[in-house]
Amino acid sequence: MSLLDGVRHQLRSLFGARRYARELDAEMQFHLSLDAMQREHGARGTLSAADAHVAARRRFGNLTAITESTRAVAGLSFFDAIAQDARFALRTFRRAPAFTTVAVLTLAIGIGANTAIFGAVNALLIRPLPFPHPEQLMKVGLILPARNGNPPRTDMVWSYPKFTAFRDAQHLFSDVALYTDDQSTISGNGEAERVRTEIVGARYLPTLGVRLAIGRNFLPEEDQHPDAPRVVVLSDGFWQRRYNADPRVLGRVLDIGGKPYTIVGVLPRGFRGLSGRAELLISMMSLPADVLDEAWNHSYTLVARLAPNITVAQAKADVPRLGAIVDRAFPAPGASSEHWGASASELDASRVDPAVRRSLLVLLAAVGLVLLIACANVANLFLVRASGRRREIAVRLAVGAGRGRLVRQLLTESVILSLLGGLAGLLVAWWGVRLLAAFDPGQALRVQTFSAIGAVSFSNIRLDGAALAFAACLAIATGLLFGLVPALQSTQRSLTGALKEEAGGGEGARRTLSSRNVLAIVEIALAVVLLAGSGLMLRSLGKLLRVNPGFDPENTLTMRFSTPESYGPDSLAGFFDAVLERTAALPGVTGSALIDCPPLNGRCSGSVMIFRDQPAPVPGTEPEVGVHWVTPSWMPIMKVPLVRGRYFTRDDREGVRKVVLVNEAAARRFWPGGDPIGRPVSVGQGGFWKDTAYVVGVVGDVRFESLDSAATPDVYLSYYQSPRSRMMLMLRSAGDVRALAAPARRVVREMLPLSPVYEVRTMRERAADAMRYARFSTVILALFGIVALALATMGTYGVISFGVAQRTREIGIRVALGAQRGELLRMIVRQGLLLALVGGVAGLVAALAATRVLRSLLFEIVPSDPLTFAAILALLALAVLAASWIPARRAATIHPSEALRES
Amino acid sequence: MPPSPGQSRSELLKGTLDMLILQTLTLQPQHGYAIAQHIERLSNDVLSVEQGSLYPALERLQKKGWVTSKWGESPTGRKARYYTITASGRRQLGREISSFDRMLVAIRAVMKRA
Repeated sequence: MSLLDGVRHQLRSLFGARRYARELDAEMQFHLSLDAMQREHGARGTLSAADAHVAARRRFGNLTAITESTRAVAGLSFFDAIAQDARFALRTFRRAPAFTTVAVLTLAIGIGANTAIFGAVNALLIRPLPFPHPEQLMKVGLILPARNGNPPRTDMVWSYPKFTAFRDAQHLFSDVALYTDDQSTISGNGEAERVRTEIVGARYLPTLGVRLAIGRNFLPEEDQHPDAPRVVVLSDGFWQRRYNADPRVLGRVLDIGGKPYTIVGVLPRGFRGLSGRAELLISMMSLPADVLDEAWNHSYTLVARLAPNITVAQAKADVPRLGAIVDRAFPAPGASSEHWGASASELDASRVDPAVRRSLLVLLAAVGLVLLIACANVANLFLVRASGRRREIAVRLAVGAGRGRLVRQLLTESVILSLLGGLAGLLVAWWGVRLLAAFDPGQALRVQTFSAIGAVSFSNIRLDGAALAFAACLAIATGLLFGLVPALQSTQRSLTGALKEEAGGGEGARRTLSSRNVLAIVEIALAVVLLAGSGLMLRSLGKLLRVNPGFDPENTLTMRFSTPESYGPDSLAGFFDAVLERTAALPGVTGSALIDCPPLNGRCSGSVMIFRDQPAPVPGTEPEVGVHWVTPSWMPIMKVPLVRGRYFTRDDREGVRKVVLVNEAAARRFWPGGDPIGRPVSVGQGGFWKDTAYVVGVVGDVRFESLDSAATPDVYLSYYQSPRSRMMLMLRSAGDVRALAAPARRVVREMLPLSPVYEVRTMRERAADAMRYARFSTVILALFGIVALALATMGTYGVISFGVAQRTREIGIRVALGAQRGELLRMIVRQGLLLALVGGVAGLVAALAATRVLRSLLFEIVPSDPLTFAAILALLALAVLAASWIPARRAATIHPSEALRES
Repeated sequence: MPPSPGQSRSELLKGTLDMLILQTLTLQPQHGYAIAQHIERLSNDVLSVEQGSLYPALERLQKKGWVTSKWGESPTGRKARYYTITASGRRQLGREISSFDRMLVAIRAVMKRA
């Protein structure tokens, strides 16, 4: 096979390079000696062996040239040149260690930071979901129609009856399943513990394509109807931790929330449900019928896998029809005009919280700018060096080196430099990835199942193959980027100019100077963009930190514990009374109170409120309020100010007139200009719907959701008029509140020996959590801003000081002719400020356009905040002033004789 | 006898060296020196094969797969690289000869008219 012969020959010459060279040499020698022999023989004794050899050599021609041209045909000359260029580059770097170190470090920061952020973007936004055929996975949400001026919500969760109506009508999906995340108390076989769980349908694991490590999935007969056999699947971590990875765990019984569940399987390692943190998967049909049969109990997310012949677009187009079927089966009560719908979206689209996606993209853009600045800086260094090498390059051009060859050699230098930078950057990236992976916004953002898949989390960020490949590509691209301009410029054929050129500088020098000025201006402009972004985020964070949460978070401890299911409403009040009394009696405790849902929790209970002294509104248009259950002591302990009326008292208990407190936002919204005190209302929760309750007080706004969302109308119910089983205990102390954790735990343990105590944290920590993500992304962005400013300052300093060095002679003459030092100083500084002005204005324009993308991430700051921009420009002017002051001082102290002698 | 400097040696027409090498190799596998010798001898020393063209040409022919090479022992007992023409090399030779013939005819026609 001739084609194969050719290919085989080519491969041999490429991969057996040494052998190839040896053989070629042997062949040439053979040729020579044969020719010499022939000549000696043909001359019949008139030619000595040595002479014959010389003649043969003469006839043969240039041995090296022939070898080279043969190698060129073989395609080896390219590799020869690269290897030669690389060796040459490394030699030059060794000769200029300062230049090399600065350049490599600059690039290491740029490439490393980019690699780390890319790792995050890849893990959180790009990498396919860790399931087979993830493109087939979809999420179907109910559509809550527009209400009270709010836009419709398309991602509503499902109730089980609505789900069955959907499931039985659909042919789009091969599998559909519900899931929701929850928490449960487990006991038996070790200490009682509060664990995160998922309540899932039997088709949940098959829909996702997850196979159990051991055991089996829930059976169809365990999925038929509520009150089915109670079965549970363990996560790998839970199995290891509580059962020591014993395979005989299958069939054993686990006590979950006081009920026995049979363990039927163990999940594969690494999969903890779509929530990403479930320790147990509990069969949905284990729930009692009264929970499951409630059509308006919307709590479950619907995941679905497309049938083989259905496309995403078909599913999206057809799901609304199914939504109408569900709506007909379960028409909205009361408001007959209201129609619910359904819509499908790719599961991948809801992989992370939109805020995380947005800020990651902002960080990616920012870190890209940092790299561009780093490139400009290194390009500048290269230009300086190139002007030092002008003569060398001119000589090489003069003796016949091709321009292409020289450009290639200079590019090899820059690429090798950036590869070194990339290598060092891996250290930066490794550190950055560790930092990013340690961050858990799940807690900080309170991303619930509503908007994000916990299975995709910051802990998945790794320095993996993709990140390494990215770093390598980035290094090569960077090398070409910052190397190309200097390489092209320094090899321009201005032979005579460069050869004649003295230290005074000619046309070539002026040209380098101007392109260096452009680079400095670009750096300054990019730095302004970055600084503006980070400045805005910092200001926004500052505003966020100054938000008054409406309560005093200092010296407050929170803890939760679950009460036994056997406790009815009557015994609950008595039990919690005892808890309050005993914890209040602990030394150091200045107050103890209960609330159902702590402030800054992201989400609390909510319902509707109607006014009994006004005509009943159209059903479905009742105003919404947040509903909170508190004990009377909660407001004074949390220092929530009383605006009007009174707080709750211990006498607001069951059997007497029902009362509520409202916050100022509610008072403003519902009784503008009027007095809410004494007004009759009904609240759609806690047994306050049928009865009329009276407003007895107005209290200050407490931020229950988050600091950056405005206070919304809230209503408080007295715990003693509406007991609940899940309450949070809050303790205030005079001193260090952490010291209270152990004794408070002991009190609860004594009263409830079988219940775990959890969420033991200070209110300060909770408040910090609520800001963690904002703080996190702001700090990173600010870091990039600082690096950008430092690089731009360095770049400007480089340009100015190089300019001064080049003009030493001119300055010396000026001094000799009587120029004043102050004049010289001003002249140099003016040059720096000119760069700053041009770069600053360009950057300002770019920043005004660019910071608009930050709008949704900013809190109470407009993207064009004049104060921020003024501060940025002042900072920039200061930095540039400093950068040009040092070279200016040097210029001013130049002694004329020394300057003139220097050339 | 090496030709004297005065004697004219024709530079090979571009592209004809490949054809000559292939033709030479149809007789038997040869090493580089023998190929050069053979061409020079048959052309009565009119055609000179420069080593600077010979070895790159052999490399090119190998890359195309028209020629393969193997190390063997020369009559003098030394190791030498022997080149062999392949089947596709023979086909290529046929093509080159016919196109060369066409060109010769064309050149003759032009020269006659002139």
